[in-house]
Amino acid sequence: MTMAAERSARHSRSRTWTRLGDFASRWSFMAPAAIILGALLAYPIFYTIEISFSRFDLMTFSAVEWVGWENYAHVLDDYRFWASMKVTLIYLALALPIQIALGFGIAFLINAEWRGRAVVRALFIIPMVVAPVVAGGVFRMILDPLWGIMNYLLGLVGIGPLDWFGDPNLAMAAIVIIDTWRWTPFVVLIATAALLALPKDVFEAADIDGANWWSKLWSITLPLLVPIIAATFVVRWLGAVKMFDIALAATYGGPGGATNVINLFIYEEAFRSLRFAESAAMAVIILVLTMILTGLFLVGTRRLEDHY
Amino acid sequence: MSALATAAAGRSGRPKTGHRVRVAAGVFACVVFLFPVFWMVLTSLKDQRDIFTTPPTLFFTPTLEHYIGYMQRADITRRLINTVIVAAGAGIVSIVAGSMAGYALARIKLRGAGTIGVLILLSRGVPPIALAVPMFLVARKLGVTDQHITLILAYCTFLIPYVMWLMRGFFLALPKELEESAMIDGCSRFGAFVKIILPISLPGLLSTLIFSMILAWEELLFALVLTNRYASTIPVAIAGIAGDTVNGANWGALTAVGTITVVPVVIFALLVQKWLIQGLADGATKG
Repeated sequence: MTMAAERSARHSRSRTWTRLGDFASRWSFMAPAAIILGALLAYPIFYTIEISFSRFDLMTFSAVEWVGWENYAHVLDDYRFWASMKVTLIYLALALPIQIALGFGIAFLINAEWRGRAVVRALFIIPMVVAPVVAGGVFRMILDPLWGIMNYLLGLVGIGPLDWFGDPNLAMAAIVIIDTWRWTPFVVLIATAALLALPKDVFEAADIDGANWWSKLWSITLPLLVPIIAATFVVRWLGAVKMFDIALAATYGGPGGATNVINLFIYEEAFRSLRFAESAAMAVIILVLTMILTGLFLVGTRRLEDHY
Repeated sequence: MSALATAAAGRSGRPKTGHRVRVAAGVFACVVFLFPVFWMVLTSLKDQRDIFTTPPTLFFTPTLEHYIGYMQRADITRRLINTVIVAAGAGIVSIVAGSMAGYALARIKLRGAGTIGVLILLSRGVPPIALAVPMFLVARKLGVTDQHITLILAYCTFLIPYVMWLMRGFFLALPKELEESAMIDGCSRFGAFVKIILPISLPGLLSTLIFSMILAWEELLFALVLTNRYASTIPVAIAGIAGDTVNGANWGALTAVGTITVVPVVIFALLVQKWLIQGLADGATKG
C-alpha cells in the first residue's frame, strides 16, 4: 500500500518533470525569435502609440504629458498629410497593377521554349537585387532632362524633351517607372514558375475543341492563375506600402510634394522638423490602415483560392 | 513536351513565327530591364567630360578615376566595412532565430501557434517608419545610436519574420519520418534538428541567408535614422550623393559607388539563382 503510493508519487513527479522538460524543449525553438520580435517589434509599436497620445518634450527627449487625441486632430487638420496620402494612393494604384500585368506578360514571353530560356530568367534577378536607393539615383541620371539618355532616346522618336523631375505628373510617372523597373522582375520570377505549373492537359483538350488563343487565355489561363495573382498582389502590396528609398533618392518628394509618399513625409516630419508626437500619430494611422487592408487582402486571397 | 511543341509548330507553320516573335520579345524585355544597370557601370567608367555629352556616348576611353577617387575617401571604405558587418550580423542572427521558429511552426504542436503564424504574417505589414521613430528615441536614451549592433537588431524586425515564413515552407516539405526515426534512436528534438533537418535544408538555408543579407545590405531608412558617422552604411552614402544638388550632379561618384554596391550582390544572387527562384516562388505561394 505505502509502496504503491510512493511509486505513484515518484512516477507523477517524474511525469511533471518530463512534461516541463517537453514544454521547455517545444518552446525553446520559438523563444529566440519571440524574444527579439517582442522587444524590437511589439515594444516600439506600443511606444509609438504612447508618444502619439502625448506631448513630446524636446528638452528631455521624451513623452511627457498625456494629451488625448490632440496630435491626431493636428494631423487630420494638416493638408500636407492628406496631400501625401493622396500621392501614396496614386502611386499604389498605378504601380501595383502595372507591375503585375507587366510581370505576367513578360513571364509568358520568356517561358517560350528555346536554348537561352534559363539564362534570360536568371538575368531577370539582377534588377531585383539592385538597392532601391541605387535605382533611384541611377534613374535620376537616366531621366535627367538635359543629359539623360531617356530624353535622348525619346527625342529620336520625336517626343520631348520631357522635364521628368520638374513636372508633377511626370515626376510621379518617373517614380512609378523606377519602382516598376525594380519590382517587375520579382513578379516575373513568380509568374514564370506559376505559368510552368499550369496543367498541360487542359490546354490540349481546349486545342482539340478548337478554342482560339483569346478564349484559352480568358477562360482557362486567367482563372487558373487567379490565386497566384492574388498572392503576388499581397506580397507586392506589403513591399509597396513601405516605399521610401526610391522617392528619397530620385525626387526627394518633389516637385512641390508631388511624389512625397507618406513614409517620406513622416520621416521628414520626425527627423527634420522634430515633430515626434505628430509623426507618431501619423505612423499609428498608417499602421492601422495597413493592418486592416493587409488583413482584408489576406481574407480576399483565401476566398479567391476557395472560389477557383 | 518539347517534341510535342515542335510537332505542333511543324503542323501549321504559323505558331513557328509566333514562337520566334515571343522569344524575341522576351529577350528585348530582358535587355530593357538590364539597360539601367549596364548604363550605370558604363557611366562609372567614363571621364567627367564623357558623362556630359549630347548624344550620350557609347565609346570612350575607360577610366577608373571615380573608383580610385572615392575608394580613397575614408568614409566610403569604412561604410563598406560597416555594411558588410551589419548585413552578415543581421543575416546570421535572423537565420538562427528564424529557422528555429520556422521549424517550431512547421513541426512542433504549440498552443497558440496559429495565432503566432497570423501575427508574423501581419507583422510583415508593419511600416518600418512606425518602428523607426521609437527605435531612434529608445536608442538615444540608451546611448546605443550609431552602433552596429543597434542596426543589426533593427534589421531583425523584418528579417526574422521573413526567414521564419520561408523556412517553415522548406521544413513542411520534408518527410516527417526523418526526425521521428532520429528521435526514436535517442536523439533529442534539438539534436534531430541540428543533425538531420538542417543539413538536408542547407540549400534553402543558404539561399534564405543570402537573400536576408541582401535585404540588410540595401536597407536605407533604419540606417539613416539609427546611424550618423561611425556605423553608417553605403546606402546612406548613395542617398547623400544622389541628393547633393548643391555641388551639381556627381554622376561619376554616384555610379561608381552604386556599381561597388551592386556587383557583389549580383554575383551572390546569380550563384544561388536556382534556389532563389524556388524560394521566391514558394514564399509567394505559401506565404
